[in-house]
Amino acid sequence: MTKKMVFVDTSKCTGCKACSVACKEWNELPAEKTQLLTSYQTQKNFTTNTWTYMTFIEKYENQTMNWLMRKAQCFHCADPACLKACSSAAITQTESGYVVINQDKCIGCGYCVENCPFGVPKVDPIKKKSSKCTGCIDRVENNLLPACVQTCQPGALAFGERDAILAQAKKRLAEVQKTHPKAQLYGEKEMGGLTYLYLLLDSPEVYGLPANPTVPLSLTLWKDVVRPVGSVAVGGAAAAVVLGVFANLWRGNYKEGGKD
Amino acid sequence: MSPSFGRGAMTNSWSDLKNSEVFLIAGSNCAENHPIAMKWINRAKEKGAKIIVVDPRFTRTAAKADIFAQIRPGTDIAYLGAIINYILNQKLYDEKYVLNYTNALLKISKDYKLDDGIFSGYNEKTRKYATTSWAYQLGPDNKPLKAESLEDPDCVFAKLKVHYSRYTFATAENISGIPAAKIKEIAEVFCQGKPGSILYALGMTQHTTGVQGIRAYAIIQLLLGNIGKAGGGINALRGEPNVQGSTDMANLVSNLPGYLPYPINTDKTLQDYLVRNGSFYEKHLVALLKAWYGANATKENDYGFNYLPKTNPSVNATMVKIFEMMNKGQFKLLFNVGSNSLVSIPDRKLVRSGLAKLDMLVVSDLFEIETAQFWREPGVNPADIKTEVIMFPAAFVYEKAGSMSNSSRWIQWKEAAIKPLGESKPDLDLLDHLFKKIRKLYEGSTDVKDAPILKARWDYGEGEPSALKVLQELSGYDETTGKLLPTIGDYLKAPIGTASTGCWIYAGVTGNGNLAARRKNDDPTGLGLFREWSFAWPGNVRILYNRASCDEAGRPVDAKRQLIWWDSAAKVWAGNDGADVVDKTKGPDTPEGKQSFRMNPEGVGRLFAATYMSGLPVAPPTDGLPPIGIRPGGLCVDGPLPEYYEPTESPSTNILHPKVSISPVALVVSTQLGKSEEYPHVLTTYGVVEHFCAGGITRNIPWLNEIMPEPFAEISKNLGEKIGVKEGDMVEVASARGKITVRALVTDRLQTYKVNGKDTETIGMPWSWGFASLSPGPSTNDLTIAALDPGAGTPEYKVCLVNIRRA
Repeated sequence: MTKKMVFVDTSKCTGCKACSVACKEWNELPAEKTQLLTSYQTQKNFTTNTWTYMTFIEKYENQTMNWLMRKAQCFHCADPACLKACSSAAITQTESGYVVINQDKCIGCGYCVENCPFGVPKVDPIKKKSSKCTGCIDRVENNLLPACVQTCQPGALAFGERDAILAQAKKRLAEVQKTHPKAQLYGEKEMGGLTYLYLLLDSPEVYGLPANPTVPLSLTLWKDVVRPVGSVAVGGAAAAVVLGVFANLWRGNYKEGGKD
Repeated sequence: MSPSFGRGAMTNSWSDLKNSEVFLIAGSNCAENHPIAMKWINRAKEKGAKIIVVDPRFTRTAAKADIFAQIRPGTDIAYLGAIINYILNQKLYDEKYVLNYTNALLKISKDYKLDDGIFSGYNEKTRKYATTSWAYQLGPDNKPLKAESLEDPDCVFAKLKVHYSRYTFATAENISGIPAAKIKEIAEVFCQGKPGSILYALGMTQHTTGVQGIRAYAIIQLLLGNIGKAGGGINALRGEPNVQGSTDMANLVSNLPGYLPYPINTDKTLQDYLVRNGSFYEKHLVALLKAWYGANATKENDYGFNYLPKTNPSVNATMVKIFEMMNKGQFKLLFNVGSNSLVSIPDRKLVRSGLAKLDMLVVSDLFEIETAQFWREPGVNPADIKTEVIMFPAAFVYEKAGSMSNSSRWIQWKEAAIKPLGESKPDLDLLDHLFKKIRKLYEGSTDVKDAPILKARWDYGEGEPSALKVLQELSGYDETTGKLLPTIGDYLKAPIGTASTGCWIYAGVTGNGNLAARRKNDDPTGLGLFREWSFAWPGNVRILYNRASCDEAGRPVDAKRQLIWWDSAAKVWAGNDGADVVDKTKGPDTPEGKQSFRMNPEGVGRLFAATYMSGLPVAPPTDGLPPIGIRPGGLCVDGPLPEYYEPTESPSTNILHPKVSISPVALVVSTQLGKSEEYPHVLTTYGVVEHFCAGGITRNIPWLNEIMPEPFAEISKNLGEKIGVKEGDMVEVASARGKITVRALVTDRLQTYKVNGKDTETIGMPWSWGFASLSPGPSTNDLTIAALDPGAGTPEYKVCLVNIRRA
C-alpha cells in the first residue's frame, strides 16, 4: 500500500466532536465520565479509551475572538519515537505510514508513553497494554475511510494518497492565509513527516503543540548507539532496564518539547 | 414566509448553499444545530463567499465567520430595519426586480397608519387587530390600484420608506448593542454579494415577534432581488429530520395537510369555508376529504366537510396553550408522541401541573423520558398524582420504513435498517392498531359525532400496515378508477371530486413509481439541484419562485446560475430546475407567465403583507350568497410591516415608542414576570451539537454524555468578576419563575454591551437536560417565559430576565 495521509483542516472544523464518537463506536471504546473543563472541551487528554478528542482554545485579542478547535489524535509520524522506544518490538510502521501497536506483543513497559513528543500512547495499568489511534488501519486496508473521516460533515477531514493530499493542503493554505495570515501547515516535515497533516490557524504553540517535535536524544543514543551492542551482550529484559536508566537520565531534555 | 412569498417553506435547499456569494446567518447556529449545512457553506466559502454571523453569543458557527456581531437577544428587527433603511436610502435595491416581482407599486388604503407603535385597527380590549385598513386601494375591477412610480406616497414602497426612516444605524445600536459601524458593515457586505442567502432557525422564531423578524428578512431579500435564485433565498433550517414533513402534514394548529386553512367553528358548510378562504382551496380540500373518507365523501354531503372537527380560532391552541388549557381541566387524555414536553416547554411547571390534571397520559418514546416520569420528579409526591401513565415503546427511526421530508422539501424514502427491538413498534403500526380497535368500539353507532370514525377510509393493509400505502395516499388517486395519479399535473387537471390526495403538495410523489426512493446523485449543472435524488414538493421544483430568476422576457438574469428559461421555439418554460410557474406553456408575455410568486393573490412578492382576496366578482352573486374570491394573501396578525418591540421581559424600554414597549398583541401565558431591577441580565437558551432537543434519546447515549456531560451558563468575564465566579464554579441562575444551579463557563465569547448607554449582560444556557436519563441535569425551562408570538404561537425561549450568583 502506498503512503497515505489525512488532512485535518481546522479552518473547516466546527468542533462538533462527531469524530470522537465515531472513533469510539468503530473501535468499541467505552465512554468515560467527564465534566466541562474549559470552553466546550470535556475530554482532557488521551486515555486508553479515548484515542481522539476535540480541543478548544479561546484566544481573544483586539476585540476579536479566535475560537480554535482541533481534533487531537496520534499523528503517525514517519520517524516515530514510540516505535524506536518500544522494548518489545510491538510497535511497527506500515507501508502506508501508520504506526500501530501489536497488542499481543506489547508488555506495557510505557517507554512509548515516555518518549512520544505529543503524549499520545497510554498504558492500561491493569491490562499492561499500550493503546492509541490505529488510524483505522483495519478500515483503510479494506478500502474504507477512517471512521473519523467518514463521519466529518463540515468536510474538515480528507483522506488519500500522501502526495495528492499534501498538494491539496498547500492549495488550501494559500486560500486560508488570505483571511488568516498566521495559518500554517503542521506535519509536512515534523518527525520526518506526519500522516495526519494539520492546517492550523495559528502557531502550533497556541494549540499546545511542540513547534519542533523531536525524537528524544536519549532515545537516539540508546537505539542507534547503545542498543545494537546491548542486544548482543544481554537479553531483552536487561536491555529494557538499561533503557529505563537512559530515559530517566535524559528526562529533562525531552520533557521540554513534549506536552502532557 | 408565507405572508411574503405564499409558501411557508425554506426557499432553496441545503445543497444550493454552495452557490451563495454571501451568507447572513442570524438566528441560526447551524454549525451546531444543523451540522450538514456547514458542508455546503464551506464549499461556498472555498470559492470566496463571505459569512456574516449575528448572534447573542460567539458560537461554533461564529468561529467560521468573516464578520461577527454580538446582538442583544430579541432585537433583530431593530438592526434589520436599519439595513432596510440603508438599502432604500442608498438605492441598493434591484429596481427591475422590485418593480416587476414585488407589490412595491400597489397602493395602500388611506386608512392605514402606524401611530406610536400601534397599527391602525387595534382593539385594546381584545388586544387584537382588525386588518381591514391594511388593504390595497382597489379599482372598479376589485384589483389593487397600481402607482405610476415608486414616488407615489400611497404605494407600498413609499410606506416602506416612511416606516423604516426611523431605523437609523444609531437607533439600532442603542437597541441591539451592535455598534452602528458594524451594522453598516453588515449592510454593505450583504448588499454587495449577489446572490446572498439568509439562514435562520429558532434563534429568529422563538420571540413574541418571531414572524415579523422573518418578514424583515423577506423585505431585505425582495429588495435585493435574492428570492427565486440559486444561492439566494431565505433558508429556514428545520431542526429535526422531519420537521418539514410534520408541518407539511399539518402539525400547525391552523392548517390541514398541504397548508390548507383549517375550518373554524363558523364554517357550517364548504361554501362558508370557501367564502373565507377562496376558491383556490376547493379542489385541494375536496381531494383531502376524498382521501380521508373515500366513497363516503360525496357532492351531496359536501364531501364530508362536516366530518372534520372545527377549531375555535380565538383559542389558537398551540403547544404552550394546550398545557394552559390542561391546567384548567380541559383535557382528560394526552397522547405524547415524539416530544419531551416536561423538558421542552417554557416555564415548565405549567406542564407538570397540567399532566397531573389528566386522567391518562400515554407516552410513546424510546426511553422513559421525563414527561413519562413526571409523577416521580424530585419534589413531587407520587401519591398525590392520580394520572394513569402508559408507556408505549416506540421504534427508532432506523427501525421503520417511511418518508422524511427535509428542509429542502425533499421527500426522502427509506427502508427499515433493522427490525424493531423487543416489543417496540413504529408509530404507524401503533396508530393503525389503535384506530382499528377504536372503530370496532364505535361499530353500529348512528350518532353524528361518531360518523368521522366510522366513515373514514382506512386502508393501509392488514397485519403490519404499509408506509408506502400512506405515501401513495398523499400522492393521490384517480377516484373513478382507483389508480394512482401519475403527476401533479394530472391531479390539477382532474375535475373536482374525482381525485384524492392526502396532501396536495405531495401530489405525484409515487405516481410514476416511488420517486421519493430515487438516489441518483448526479449534478450535471454543478448547481446542486440533484433533480433525480428523491422528489421535492411541489412537482420536483428545487428552488421555489424560480420564475424570479429570469427577467421579464424569461431569460436567466444570472448566466452562471441558470435555473429556468422560456424556450420560445418549443413554447415552454424549460430549464435545469422544474419551473415554478402557473402554467408551463404560458409565456412571459401572458399574465400567468409574469407571475413570479404564483401562490400569492397578487402574483408578486409581498413587501407589505396587505389584506387582499383576489378574484372577487365586481357584481354581487345573483344567488344572494356571499361572493367567493380566489385566494387571500397571508396575513400577519401583528402588523403588515415589521416593527420593533421589546421582548416581554426586557432590560430596556422601547426607545421608538416607550408607551408601547412590547408587542401589543403578544400572548403572555406565564403569570410570574420579572423586572430588570431584580433580574438585570438577559438569558438566552439554545441547544448544543452534542445533544438533540430535549435530550430524550441523546442523554441516554454514553458517548454523547461524555462529550457534553452537563448543562452550563456562559457568562462574560466582566460578569464573572462582578459576582466572583471563575470558569468551572457553580452558579445559581434565577428568574421570576424558578432557579437552577449549573456550572459556569466564563468566556470572552460573551461581552458586556451597551443598551441605551447602559451596560448589559447576556447569559447563555443550553436547555437539553432534565431529571431522568443516564445524564440528568437541571432544566433551563424552569427559568424561561411562556410568552408567545400571536400568529405562530412560538414561545419566547430566546429572551427572559434572570439574576445570577455564586452557588
